[in-house]
Amino acid sequence: MAEVKVKKETNLSDATEVENRIKQLCQQFPHGITDQVIQNDMPQLEPQQRAMAINKLLSLGQLDLLRNSSGLLYRMKDVQSASKMKGSDNQEKLVYQVIEDAGNKGIWSRDIRFKSNLPLTEINKILKNLESKKLIKAVKSVAASKKKVYMLYNLQPDRSVTGGAWYSDQDFESEFVEVLNQQCFKFLQSKAEVARDSKQSPMVQRNSSFATSHEVWKYISELGISKVDLSMDDIETILNTLIYDGKVEMTVIAAKEGTVGSVDGQMKLYRGVNPVIQPTGLVRTPCGLCPVFDDCHEGGEISPSNCIYMTEWLDF
Amino acid sequence: MTAQEVRLCGLLLREHFGEVVEKVGTHLLKGGAQNLRTIIHETGISLDLVKKSLCVLVQHGACVFRSGRKGAGSPTEYQTCCDRILRILRYPRYIYTAKTLYGDTGELIIEELLQRGHMTMSGTIKTVADRLTQNMEEGRSMDYSEVSSAFFRLVETHFLQRCPPLAGAEPKDSATPAAPAPPGTPAAPVSTAPPTPESFPDCYKVPHVTLVGRGKRQLASEDGEDQRNAKKAKMDSQTHGDEGICWQVNFERFHLHFRDQAIISAVANKLDQTSSEIVRTMLRMSEVTTSPTATCTKPLSANEIFRSLPTSYNIPRPILDQYLTLLIDDPMEFVGKAGESGGGMYVVNMHRALANLARATLESVVQERFGSRSARIFRLLLRKRHLEQKQVEDFAMIPAKEAKDMLYTLLSQNLVQLQEIPKTPDYAPSRTFYLYTVNQLPTARMLLQNCYKTVANLVERRLFESKESKRLLEKSQRIEAILASLQASGAEPEQLTEVEEMITAPEKQQLEALRLHINKLDSAENQVDETIFLLESYINSTASTS
Repeated sequence: MAEVKVKKETNLSDATEVENRIKQLCQQFPHGITDQVIQNDMPQLEPQQRAMAINKLLSLGQLDLLRNSSGLLYRMKDVQSASKMKGSDNQEKLVYQVIEDAGNKGIWSRDIRFKSNLPLTEINKILKNLESKKLIKAVKSVAASKKKVYMLYNLQPDRSVTGGAWYSDQDFESEFVEVLNQQCFKFLQSKAEVARDSKQSPMVQRNSSFATSHEVWKYISELGISKVDLSMDDIETILNTLIYDGKVEMTVIAAKEGTVGSVDGQMKLYRGVNPVIQPTGLVRTPCGLCPVFDDCHEGGEISPSNCIYMTEWLDF
Repeated sequence: MTAQEVRLCGLLLREHFGEVVEKVGTHLLKGGAQNLRTIIHETGISLDLVKKSLCVLVQHGACVFRSGRKGAGSPTEYQTCCDRILRILRYPRYIYTAKTLYGDTGELIIEELLQRGHMTMSGTIKTVADRLTQNMEEGRSMDYSEVSSAFFRLVETHFLQRCPPLAGAEPKDSATPAAPAPPGTPAAPVSTAPPTPESFPDCYKVPHVTLVGRGKRQLASEDGEDQRNAKKAKMDSQTHGDEGICWQVNFERFHLHFRDQAIISAVANKLDQTSSEIVRTMLRMSEVTTSPTATCTKPLSANEIFRSLPTSYNIPRPILDQYLTLLIDDPMEFVGKAGESGGGMYVVNMHRALANLARATLESVVQERFGSRSARIFRLLLRKRHLEQKQVEDFAMIPAKEAKDMLYTLLSQNLVQLQEIPKTPDYAPSRTFYLYTVNQLPTARMLLQNCYKTVANLVERRLFESKESKRLLEKSQRIEAILASLQASGAEPEQLTEVEEMITAPEKQQLEALRLHINKLDSAENQVDETIFLLESYINSTASTS
């Protein structure tokens, strides 16, 4: 660098001034500057010098190199993050950048390899390094439990990775869902009973047995059985499972915008219902529930004459 | 005619008519239309017995005959259809319905007709009167006119119908409507619809019968004398003016009644008693105006419904309107609105109600067999039609491993099907969507076959249990006969107790247990028959509308 200074002494300010000028330009255009901009500003600067100045800034970690459709962009880097990366070499910086770009969702180690073109062993070393420096963290994805995605240390993992309110530490909380299920059902059932006992006209009875999803949500929040805050969408998924259990039915009505709990001018109403038929005749016999029904025929190992299930059932 | 149906028909024929009829019947079921020589040759039974068995089957409407396919002059061919034989399973239900609707008299009339197949009106009335008289106290007897009036009422409501007359060379059959029209006969009707009993105008006309008298009480006498008396009654030379007009039970009408009952009880379960009364009124009003295969009744105006409601239900008109609106809004769609005239025109959607009942049956089977979580998955797939595995887990809120397990179990039992949607033409598994789906109609058919197999199993078990304890049963029967004869001839109490003690206590216990077992198996058969009825009605209704 001293040579450069000596050579161009007469023509140009020294390289640091070039760098400073570039830095100033970057600060002027926070979105980034292209080569063209630098050239316009310092037309007398030779491309070689420019390149060297830029490389120096990059290696110092003060400038970010980006690419857009028209060419290369140089952007000012945060001082803070610049200080973080001191002492790391280029590869680590590259990996870090790739992880940062992945944002909330995190990125898998194989994808990092594709993006940075580094061999796997290098990647693993770098990742371990970065983790020990507490710059990134590994989060286990709920979809595939062996897969680890990496994201920046201070970022909150996205819902799709952790699974949202129903997952705690990668485990589906089925008891929690069951408890919520039963509580919602009890609430709707008691509401329906109150409506039925009120002995008013049938239309009023039916309408009062309905509960909006907002009411259910308020009831569950007030019950306080959930450690996590549940949104109305969560409650609606629980109510949907009750529909699939055949215990609850739903209607949608048009509601004025602005009434509590309305979404896009609609409100969902739920009410408890009774089953339509009793358990059917076939399942009251042992054959209806028999696990070896298909193997049973007269004269075989399993036959109606020597069926042990029937014997037990007859003696019941 | 599946293997399960044939097996069940065979068992029913054996129980009700004996082994020879069973052999002939199953042979006809398996072999299609055959003439007499073929039957004799292939079953190896003598001509005499085959003729008698065919008589029995024709008498009960299980077998139809027509002239051969090779043209007029070829030997008559006989054909059986399993539908009619499977109805035997439902006899107790028919009799019970007749009892609830028309009392003991109706019950006995239906019972006699079911046992005999076809009978003339006078014959039926006399036999029923005799039976009723026997059960009454001394000195009282049943008048023929009472029984006649019960008979008239049964015919009026179409529960009984005339057997269509057999006409010469081209016999029109009186068997189930499923029997095909004779294909090769030249004078066969052009339409493919088989001639049913109802295509005859006199189907429900009661003949003028001179029948005056009272039931005869059969005196308690020796067995031999009883037999002779019975024989004499049959050869009674009194004629009553209705010779040749035979009556049979109209099964279709009973089925309509059962179907209405199922719909009404479903409405009562889902909504409340008053709504079910309204639906009952609507169905009663459309009993005679709606054809059996219609998907919904004729539209009834709210004014008519209001007027026809039973007087015990004193609900004001606006409340009735509210109930009707609620019935329409119900997701089960029992009742639909067909117009606005007359205060609102309403129909009962029978096809949709049957479909919903069948669906509830399927869901209940899955629930009882595999648990409520699998039932949740099943209902979810019924609602949403096609879903990927991940979506099933998300909607049903079941952990992934368990959901996978349950889906695979349901798939192995064929209750759930997989639909492949390839992204590439080579169906590579990694590039194909696999969607789970439930098809209601094929699943209902499969369950129906399972029901037939179940009933056959229950019947076999019952026969097995009786056979095991045959010795014991015979012994107890002998002792009962001895006791009865001793009592009749006036023996002392010591002799009676001595005879009674011939059955030891453990044997008594065994007999008691046997009796309980057989009752349980019988009632189980009836319960499965209810499921069979629902599924059959649904399948027939879907087949006729599609």
